[in-house]
Amino acid sequence: MLVSVFRGKFALVLKLIFLAATSAILGLLAQHALAQGEFAIAIFLIFAILSINFVYLTSKSIPLKFFLPGLLFLLAFVVGPILYTLAMSGFQYQTGNILSKPEAIEQLIKTGVAQDPDQTIFDVTIGKNKAGEISILYLNTTTNVYAISTEKTRTIEPASGVKMNDFDVPSSSPNFTALTTDELGSLDASIPKLKFFYDGEYYLGLEGFQAASLYKQAIRYDEAKDQFVDLATGDIYKDNGRGNFANVNNKEQFLGSVGWRAPIWFEHYTKLFTEKRLRAPFISVFLWTISFAGLSVLTTFALGLLLALALNKAIRGRRIYRSILILPYAMPSVMSILIWGGMFDTEFGAINNLLGTHIAWFQNAAFARAAVILVNLWLGFPYFYLVASGALQAIPSELSEAAAIDGASPRQIFNKITLPLLLKILSPLLIASFAYNFNNFNLIYLLTGGGPIAQLDGDIAGGTDILISYTYKIAFNEGNSDLGLASAISVIIFLLVASISLYGLKKSKVLEDFA
Amino acid sequence: MKKWLRNNLWRHALAISVALFSLFPLYLVVISSFNPTGSLNLTSFIPREISFANYTLLFHDPRIPYLTWMKNSLIIAGAVAVLSVVIGAASAFAFSRLRFKGKVSGLKLLLLVQMFPAILAISAVYVIMERVQTFAPGIGLGSKPGLLLVYLGGAMGVNIWLLKGFVDTIPAELDEAAKVDGASPMQIYWLIFIPLATPVLSVVMLLSFIGTFNEFILARLFLVDMPDRTIAVGLQSFIGGQYAANWGPFAAGSIIASVPIVAIFLSLQKYIVNGLTAGSVKG
Repeated sequence: MLVSVFRGKFALVLKLIFLAATSAILGLLAQHALAQGEFAIAIFLIFAILSINFVYLTSKSIPLKFFLPGLLFLLAFVVGPILYTLAMSGFQYQTGNILSKPEAIEQLIKTGVAQDPDQTIFDVTIGKNKAGEISILYLNTTTNVYAISTEKTRTIEPASGVKMNDFDVPSSSPNFTALTTDELGSLDASIPKLKFFYDGEYYLGLEGFQAASLYKQAIRYDEAKDQFVDLATGDIYKDNGRGNFANVNNKEQFLGSVGWRAPIWFEHYTKLFTEKRLRAPFISVFLWTISFAGLSVLTTFALGLLLALALNKAIRGRRIYRSILILPYAMPSVMSILIWGGMFDTEFGAINNLLGTHIAWFQNAAFARAAVILVNLWLGFPYFYLVASGALQAIPSELSEAAAIDGASPRQIFNKITLPLLLKILSPLLIASFAYNFNNFNLIYLLTGGGPIAQLDGDIAGGTDILISYTYKIAFNEGNSDLGLASAISVIIFLLVASISLYGLKKSKVLEDFA
Repeated sequence: MKKWLRNNLWRHALAISVALFSLFPLYLVVISSFNPTGSLNLTSFIPREISFANYTLLFHDPRIPYLTWMKNSLIIAGAVAVLSVVIGAASAFAFSRLRFKGKVSGLKLLLLVQMFPAILAISAVYVIMERVQTFAPGIGLGSKPGLLLVYLGGAMGVNIWLLKGFVDTIPAELDEAAKVDGASPMQIYWLIFIPLATPVLSVVMLLSFIGTFNEFILARLFLVDMPDRTIAVGLQSFIGGQYAANWGPFAAGSIIASVPIVAIFLSLQKYIVNGLTAGSVKG
């Protein structure tokens, strides 16, 4: 009965409907992506459609039928972002350099304007002229004539026909009808872009709905030479190869505040090791990351093992102990970390209360680090208690019994037999735990936020920041984010963690089991 | 008696002191949740009064969409758990039972990929999903389906790896017998493998659920609006906000959110512990 579901027309129709629907959805997305110019995403989507149809309509590869969906997800949300991180690390990609070059040039042209020396400003009314074009009606206060300006033209309007509103601003004339408030509302987004003709050199740019000032283009872009000229001073700004137009006479002087993502290859990596401004925090954060991960593994493993040894005997209440001891592990960690954060509060925290002290735990790097290790001990020891208990059960008792007969003391048995065997069994887990703590973002971010920060040179690295939380701060620092540098550090972290883990796995021979 | 003391006293002493260490923060949360003044202050170990004000606040204050947060978390974590296991189990089956070219290098690659924590590529994920948002706002940055997709992708590597470890322990005799009888891989998968693996799949599903329920930073980056938040982000906003820390409602909210998780964990601890080690330890 059940078998028939997998054969026959019904199954085929179902499969075709499913394939058609998936292809249609992905195809629609690909089309939208293309329209937005997101080629990489569109290509991936098209690849997904083709591979899905190929794999499920033919019988070329049976294994692919099983792992294609998983593979596509991995490619899209893990491999893709890894490659993207790698790519971003080679770019000048930070606040001020987030656009593409054409977008940046467009921005520079748009903002590269200057007001006239007198800073003339007119009261205006926005409306439409006879031809239905958007235009403004105003009294030119320098010449005392009324005029209507559109984007391309400027016509003098006889004073006789012009009607003023309550604020003495010209509001209508035979050739001009003002827009209603509703119409103005729908215009809103495009208002800053509107330019109205004035005298060829200057144009009128709107300052809100009721005023306009005289502007002229202050810089000009020369497409052939790919450079800007400052029309007032004659200074030339050239592409400096690092995502900005820089003054040819003064390399430090950039044009405007807008730049673009420019490839700088390995500069982020070399800068991390050569520039003191970056190297000093990077090295100190790196050292603390290693010590934090090492100490975390050491403390949690030691306490876990001790408990496992203590409870490796059928003593009274063992089950109750066990249930209580794994509570910290069962509790959602986000919540327990936040609770610990409250307990370390200087004024009201339970820790100071209990100790009778008044320590500002998170204001001092040494105290903050101690707190971080203590909280991580609380979070992590049950794991090692559980796995060490399991491992103790797995060690054959014959070995220690034989040693005991030979006259070995319990201490000798533990040091010479039990511990080495345990370490051998648990070493992959110890290494995994090290790798996990190396990137234990939640703990640092939610407990101390990486602090305390010594407010020097606008440095953002704090006393308890580990590499990953430092990276996060660099990437998402408001007003000064540097995605390029953050990506470079991410790549370094990945290489470190991957080599540590691969070394550990090789040692434990997991890799050999594949064949 | 003396021998008992020497042999067992240290065991009880150690266990009791560590048990107190374990319980201390949890006890504090419980009494804070009944403390109407909303502080996490330890003035006495025995609460002076018991009030349910914090609990009623969670459910009746219109500014605190606690139930919506809970619903968001349950839906997202539930969907991630089910979908990632459904997709991951098929992959794990292929890696564990089928023979094909490039299997060993595929597994090595998978091992490498699952070591890469999602948090490392967080800025890339952010930028990519920001771009997706420009042409498909429904699945881009700021949308729940978008977050779901990112979680699914992130869970895939670990889950396939974990599931493969489990699948390897299921004896292959049955599906070999079926193969001899002429069953196709699809039939073996659905009719033999899935029924056998159901307990294992549910444990991985559970681990996946707890992991997603606990995820903080992606959820915070993705879902900014108050009613869109997940429970972890929502509760954090009680005490991480610019206004004074509201420990009372936070404690009450944490207790309600964690009691089911803790209960499930304790009742299934044996399976979960196996799951925690199966990924990396053989046997």
